[in-house]
Amino acid sequence: MAKKVGFLIFGIIFGFALSRVGASEFDAIYDMFTGSDLKLVGVIITAIVTGFAGMQLLHIKKTVRNGEKLNVSHKKLGKWSLAGAAVFGIGWGLSGACPGTVLAQIGEGKVFALTTFLGMVLGTYIYALLKQHRPEL
Amino acid sequence: MKDIYRIIFADPWPFWAGGIVIGLLIPLLYYFHNTALGVSTGYGNFVKILFRPKKLDWINKQFSETISWRVYFIAGIVIGGFISARLSGIPLFSAEMGQFTLLAGLHPALTVIYFLAGGVLLGLGSRIAGGCTSGHSIHGIANLHFSSMAVTALFLVGGIIAANILRIILEGGIG
Repeated sequence: MAKKVGFLIFGIIFGFALSRVGASEFDAIYDMFTGSDLKLVGVIITAIVTGFAGMQLLHIKKTVRNGEKLNVSHKKLGKWSLAGAAVFGIGWGLSGACPGTVLAQIGEGKVFALTTFLGMVLGTYIYALLKQHRPEL
Repeated sequence: MKDIYRIIFADPWPFWAGGIVIGLLIPLLYYFHNTALGVSTGYGNFVKILFRPKKLDWINKQFSETISWRVYFIAGIVIGGFISARLSGIPLFSAEMGQFTLLAGLHPALTVIYFLAGGVLLGLGSRIAGGCTSGHSIHGIANLHFSSMAVTALFLVGGIIAANILRIILEGGIG
């Protein structure tokens, strides 16, 4: 239970930050991809640099809080990963949201974000159906 | 004191403030939970919650615990957005989606279909790609994973193409 409360708190911080910095605005994504305002690129690059620096500290320590060995998840490229990434990118550009920011949009009361969210659940369901017959996905 | 409150809770943050807070989540999630930052996988939990499929091996195997920590993380993000909006004093509900609402002027039913379709592409695409903006573009690149850099490059290619086609339709007078 402590773990779940921990993730709830981390989620609140994440959603709050996404909303405060404007990443949950349709325009932030539309402006980034059309090149008229690159604020979101700045957010992402700062997050990467900050995350990288913090991970270096953890790598020096090699263990996490409860003494377990640090276990960094590494996603490998599958045969279709890049095609999937392009599909994701088209969805990102059209909906002006990604799986994280759509949740902040819902919290902010943007009613159409609920349909983006439902679409994402449907898309994941379609993936599960495809995966049943095409294990390489 | 009042100024500090206003800067954190009322004004929009500068890009670097958001970037630092979001970036810190990566080492903190490892430190406290030995877990990678990521959101899109949790949509599988919602497939189970909303559609209750019985015979899908991937769902049964990957999401044996229906209400896992991912559901709590997702709920937290919604609450975080809610708190932020309440502190800004914007209306409780809004039907606007920025320039899309302003320029497209679509009927609400078509707007529903539009964002539903966008969501399907996001859900399907992130699962085939193995992650989304947080898992690949932020967590993966912060850990210098080549796979995440390649996936992110394709995220950007797809996004640039889609948003510019949308811009031509909305602002260029075609169609």
